[in-house]
Parts: sequence; C-alpha cells; structure tokens
Amino acid sequence: MRGLLLAGLVLGTAPLYADYTPFYLGLLTEVLVFGLFALAYDVLLGHAGVLSLGHSAFVGVGAYATGLLLARRLAPLEPSLLAGAVGGLLTSLILGLLVLRKRGVYLAMLTLALSQVFYYVVLMWTPVTGGTDGLGNLPILTLSEPLGWRLSKHPVTRYYVVVTIVFVAMLVIRHLLRSPLGRVMRAVKANETRAAACGYDTRRVRLAAFAISGFFSGLAGALLTVVLEFVPIENIHWQMSGTVLIMTLFGGTGTMLGPFIGAGVFIWMRDFLSKYLEYWEVFVGGAFVLIVLFFPEGIVGTLTGLLGRRRAAPAAESGAQPIEPEALVRRRTEGGDGEACLLESHGLSKTFGGLTAVNAVDFQVRRGELRSVIGPNGAGKTTFFNLLTGVLPSSGGRILFKGRDITRLPAHAVSRLGIARSYQVTNIFGDLSVFENVRIAAQSRVTHYRFWGHADRLAAVNERAQEILRHLGLTGKGDVRGAELSHGDQRYLEIGIALATDPDFLLLDEPTAGMSPEETRRTAAFVRRLAGHVTVVVVEHDMEVVMGISDRITVLNYGEVLAEGTPAEIRANPDVRRVYLRD
Amino acid sequence: MNGCILILVALGLSIVFGLMGIINFAHGVFYMLGAYAGWLTVQLTGNFWLALVTAPAAVGLLGALVERGVLKRIYGTRNANFAGVLVTYGLAIMIPDLVRMTFGRPGKPFAMPAILTGSLFQLGATEVHGYRVFILLVTAALLPLLWLLLNKSNLGLVIRAGTSDNLMVQLLGINVARTWTITYALGAALAGLAGVITAPLVAVAPEMGGLVLIECFIVTVVGGMGSFLGVVAGGLLIGETLALTGMLYDVFADVVIYLAMALVLLVRPRGLFGQEGMSEE
Repeated sequence: MRGLLLAGLVLGTAPLYADYTPFYLGLLTEVLVFGLFALAYDVLLGHAGVLSLGHSAFVGVGAYATGLLLARRLAPLEPSLLAGAVGGLLTSLILGLLVLRKRGVYLAMLTLALSQVFYYVVLMWTPVTGGTDGLGNLPILTLSEPLGWRLSKHPVTRYYVVVTIVFVAMLVIRHLLRSPLGRVMRAVKANETRAAACGYDTRRVRLAAFAISGFFSGLAGALLTVVLEFVPIENIHWQMSGTVLIMTLFGGTGTMLGPFIGAGVFIWMRDFLSKYLEYWEVFVGGAFVLIVLFFPEGIVGTLTGLLGRRRAAPAAESGAQPIEPEALVRRRTEGGDGEACLLESHGLSKTFGGLTAVNAVDFQVRRGELRSVIGPNGAGKTTFFNLLTGVLPSSGGRILFKGRDITRLPAHAVSRLGIARSYQVTNIFGDLSVFENVRIAAQSRVTHYRFWGHADRLAAVNERAQEILRHLGLTGKGDVRGAELSHGDQRYLEIGIALATDPDFLLLDEPTAGMSPEETRRTAAFVRRLAGHVTVVVVEHDMEVVMGISDRITVLNYGEVLAEGTPAEIRANPDVRRVYLRD
Repeated sequence: MNGCILILVALGLSIVFGLMGIINFAHGVFYMLGAYAGWLTVQLTGNFWLALVTAPAAVGLLGALVERGVLKRIYGTRNANFAGVLVTYGLAIMIPDLVRMTFGRPGKPFAMPAILTGSLFQLGATEVHGYRVFILLVTAALLPLLWLLLNKSNLGLVIRAGTSDNLMVQLLGINVARTWTITYALGAALAGLAGVITAPLVAVAPEMGGLVLIECFIVTVVGGMGSFLGVVAGGLLIGETLALTGMLYDVFADVVIYLAMALVLLVRPRGLFGQEGMSEE
C-alpha cells in the first residue's frame, strides 16, 4: 500500500518538475499505457502461466474500436474507451476458446498465428480501417460534460486523465489477482493437474485469465489511440505481441511494478538508443536473450532478490504427528451407512494402443470401508485410479458413484462430487506456500470463480486450512514453499490437499512410498483411523500395512481382478499366493 | 509461397519441436540467412550450384553453434520450453538487424541460373517455368532421403525415441546432447536450403524470415506437429491454397489459410496427421 501511495505521489506530481517538456510528458504517458498493457499481459503469463503471442489482436482491436467510434463521430470519448476494452475482451474470448485445448509453447504458436487474422482483416478492410495508412481523422478529444476538459494539444490534462485511468485499472487488476479467482489462476499455473483434482475447471480458469488480460489490453489499446490520436496498423501487427512480451520479461513477471519498469526501459531503448544507434534492435534482442538466460526474474524480480526480501526459512521442527484424523474429515452427506455401495465399476477397461492396462474390472466399495488394491508392478493399479478420478477416459465399462454414472466426467467434476485422491509421485503445488496448498483445495468447496473480495478473507476456508495443517503437524511450516518441505511432510501435505476438498471417498496411491519404517507405521495407523470417517481405497505395496489395516483387499494382476476378500481370505488364496505373494 | 519450399522449412521446424519441445522462432532467420549465404556464394564464385551446398552447410553450422552456445543453457531449467521460445525469439529480433548492419537495408537481387530461366513447356493455359520444375525436383529428391534418415537410420531412431521418452533414451547411454545438436543443425540446414532456393524468386532481404515462419506455423498446425506426412500434406495444401486463391483474388490468399487453420483447430485440433497428445504439453 505504501508503494502504491508513493507511486501515486510521484506520478501525480510528475508534470510539476522543473524541466519537463511536452515531449517527455508524452513519453511518460506512453510508458504508462504500455505499462498497463504489459501488466494485462502478465495477468496471463505471470499469474496464470499461459504464454500468449496473440496480444497484438487484443490491443489492436481495442485501439481500432475506440478509433472507429471516435473517427466516425459515433460516440463520445468515454464510451469509446469502454468499447475498446470490451473489444479486447471479446477478442480474447474468441482466441481463448480456439486455443485452450492446447498447452505450453504450442498454444503460444497458435495465438500468434490466429492473431494475424485480425491484422489481415484490418489490412484488407481499407475503406473502414484505413489499411496500411492507419486510421486517422480523429476529432478533437474532449471529456464529456460536466468536466468537458480538452485533451488534444493539452498534454498535461491528457497526462492526468491517462494516469488516473491507468492507476484505477491497476488497482482493479490487483484486486482481481487477490480474489479467490486470482488464487485459483496461480494454482493452475503452479500445477494444473492438481488444481483439476481439487475440483477446478482449469480450462475455464485459463479462459477467465484470457478475458481479464484481454479486457485490460483492449483498454490499453484504447488509451493508445487517445495518446497518439491516430491508429497505426503496427498496433495490430504481431510484433506488438513481441514488444509486450519483451517489456514484461524485462521488468519481471509476477509483480505489479515490473511491467511498468519494463515498458519504461523498452521505450527508453527505442527512443534514445535509436538516436545514436541505427541498429538498436540488436541490443533489444541481445538484452532480451541475456535476461531470459541469466535473469529470468527480470529487473524487479532480480532486484528484490538482491535486497534480500525473501523469507528466511522458518525453523519449524520436522516429524509430522497426525493427532486426530476425526477432525480432518468433514462429511458431505449424512446417513447412508451400512450396505450402500458408494462406488462401483462394471467392466471397466482401458487400452493404450494394443496394451490392455485395465481389463473388465468389476469393483464395489461400500461406504465406510477401507479397501486395499494390491498387485505386482504394472498390474494397472494407478491406471485404475486414473479412470476412477476422470484423469483418463475409459475404453469401456461404467463407473457409478453414489448411484450416479460418472464414467464420462472430467477430473474436476469428479472431484466436486466428493472423490479426492493422493498421488504415487508427490503432486503438490510446489511454488505455493504450504498453507496456500491446503487453502486453495478448501476454497473449492466455497467458490471457484468469484473475482471480487480478498481470498484471504474467506474465514471458513482459512479455518479449515489451519485446522488441517494443525492436525497434520504442519502448522509451523505454513509459510514454506511446498517444494521445500521434506519428503515425509510432502506426503502428508498431499493427503491434506485431498482431505481439504471434504471428500466422501478418498483414493490414496501408495501413501507410504519412500517413507522410513517408523513413518510408514505412523501413516498406516493414520489411514486406519481416517477410514472410520471417510471411505478409503489404498494402493499399497507394503504387505504388512495392507494386511494390518484393510477391511477388504482387491488383487489386480495384468489389469484383471485376480481375487477379492478379507485379509485372511487373501492370505489363504492359492492364486494370490502363487502370483503375488510367492511365499 | 511455394508449397515445396514450405514443406522444407516446416519440416525443420517440426523435427526440432518433435525432439526438443521447442518452437524455434529463429527458424525464419535461418531461412533468411540461407538466402544471404547463397547470395554471397554466387557473388564470390558466380556458381549457383555451389550455393545449394554452401548455404545449408553454413546455416546448419550456425544452428549447431546456436544450440551449443545458447539453447544448451536452458535445458533442464524450469519452464525450459518457454525459455526456448523466448531465447529464439530474441535471436529472431537480433539477427535481421545484424544482417542489415552487414549487408545494408535494401534487398539483394539474386539472379536465376540461366539454364533454369524461362518457360519449359505449356500446361493448359499456364506456362511451366523451369525454375518451378527445379524446385519440385529438389523437393521430390530430398523428401525420401529425409524420410529414410528419420525413419530408418540410427539417428532417426534416437530422435524418435527421444521424442517419446527423452529420459529413457539418456538412461540407455545414448549421447542425447549430440543428437539434439545434430537435430537442431539439421532443422536449420533445411531452412537454409529453402532460403537459397527461394532467393531467385524474391529479393533477398533481412525481413524475409518473418512471414515464412508464421506460414510454417500454419502448415504444422494443419498437418499435425511432429508428423512427417502431416507436414508434407500441410505444406502442399497451404502452398496450393495460397497459389490458387492468389490467382483468383489476391488479398484473400492470406486470410483463407488462416481460416483453414482455425477450422482445423475446431474440428481436428491435433491436425490432419498429428498424434494425440503431441501438442498438449
């Protein structure tokens, strides 16, 4: 907040400094507009983890929308600005819907190619857009009554109007990033699979990030039209996307200030370097390569790192001591105990090419049961889990949960119905704090897309997260990054994330993997006590654990059910002894 | 853009993406540099045929240097694939300006070898130019060789194995680092060859790489990234679409191929011949 006030003060008084000239003030105005553009861009890159090279379309459509309304005297200035922002929003939705089935660099390539469509439309539609000559003929720009201020040829007025809009936009973006939705965006960036397993529709979340980014990029485009009083076709050319990418990375992603610093550095290079150096792009490109290679956190990120503002690791004790599993579990539905079948599969199969990993598995779990699934390596246990949780589509058969067919549901929808899981290979939000790991999972029970209000003020969610950390013995480590936890603690966090979604049905994939005998013993007891409150299915290799805790055991072999029964029955089963136990 | 040339450039892009997971934004620059290397060779020796060898060789060598000197640093880092895009994008900004610095801003005329100039024969209403036939022959000769290299040779086996499971290939004790260098150099060399072949049809200019890069993106999206057959089909389809719509109504040509791409994305997101999952990561 202090930083904001300081920034407001400096920017608010900038025109008063002795040696300003309209030229410099114009430049500063431009830096602010491009800073807003870069900040909007960073909503997608730094906060949602999506690399876009299509932002030229968002900013360009915004610039042309505003320019057209003004040039044709269709609307006053303020609605024209809003139309620019909405234009950017709509463009981002179109682009987002087309590309969001893809990921990573391939998505980046698609956004670039698709954004060029908008360029060609502008290029060809000369009667309306002016084609390569750009769009001119703008009226004298004035604010509507009662203010009625004139912006054209009044650089100081224009500066203050732009500063105000940029500042408000920045506050709104900051608010959005701190909202529950903003936090979900960060979770999707940190670990998309896990976010989906917490019940978040990650594609929609990324689309929302596209929309926010598009809206403010469009607004930046609209402001660009006001600043230049002209719309050059370069505004919608794909190099504009490259420019904003360079600005953002120069400044540093994931910060509020970085994009503005980056915009300043870039415009300084463009305007001053190019005075002395004809081939200034060599330096821009070179600096960009160096930043990516050696300072990936950008100017602001690197400086903050140097100033040592990173948190010192808290000296919390290791050794998680789960105390009361009772408190960890919250039932979604009351009643329904006894014989009721909570989850069942009929003829469930999965083939990968010619390989049948899961073959016609019939499987029933009663409410309140603790079931173990065992089998030699490659028996299809994890694939079976992936089918149950909607991570993989099945090749045949049906899955029923609480009597409802969930065979075709995606992972996030399965999670919302009350199925949670842990993973064989630790799968947490490594970049998020331990507290946020659990908090974001708990938040999925309350809200997914709410974009107003501070996420940290969801009292019920905070309490739930605190409670889970306390009972997992992780309270002192709430501020540590997930990735920095010890292996044992990560395994507990893994279970904590799953429990925070308040499941009725919990799948644990080798919860004791990589644990010491002591940790294993403790975890086994913990799982056994959990089972008194939530239905649990465990994949486990440690036979002592399996025999000790299970109500019933299912043995898989080559993707098929070999046997099923109580531990005593399984121990006595000749098939199992031959194939699996070999004793 | 000629379909055959598009195939050559896009193949390089696709091979590099398939193995390394990097969208090589410097690919258009390699294409441009191929044209310049060819132009330089012809200036010095007056021999066009020699340029067909020196250009890909020089650009391939440069590709190897870029891979060893720059890209190597990002392997294994967080978000290595993003960094690969960013670094090569930085090179794509830098290198054209370096070329302008060295050779000047204006384009360079590049004379066609006398034997290939003029029309070869009449096909219906259109004249078939010798040079077009030459391009077709070069591509037709090269594609089977490349296919054999990628599908039947030891190197190709390592490339394809590395595409599906890089770590495993390393665990088998195969020198993956060298394979990556060779692959990247091969991709660059293909772009360089396409550049020198195109040179007589257009003026050799520092900006010539930008457009071809985006057209290659479209080819790989339509055909299917990482698929040999997909790139060939996509290249022919896009190249011919450009040629046909260009004849009918010039300004439409560019838009039509973008719409084709959007259509493929909606109907068959993995591309005509793409493998499932190839582009998901």
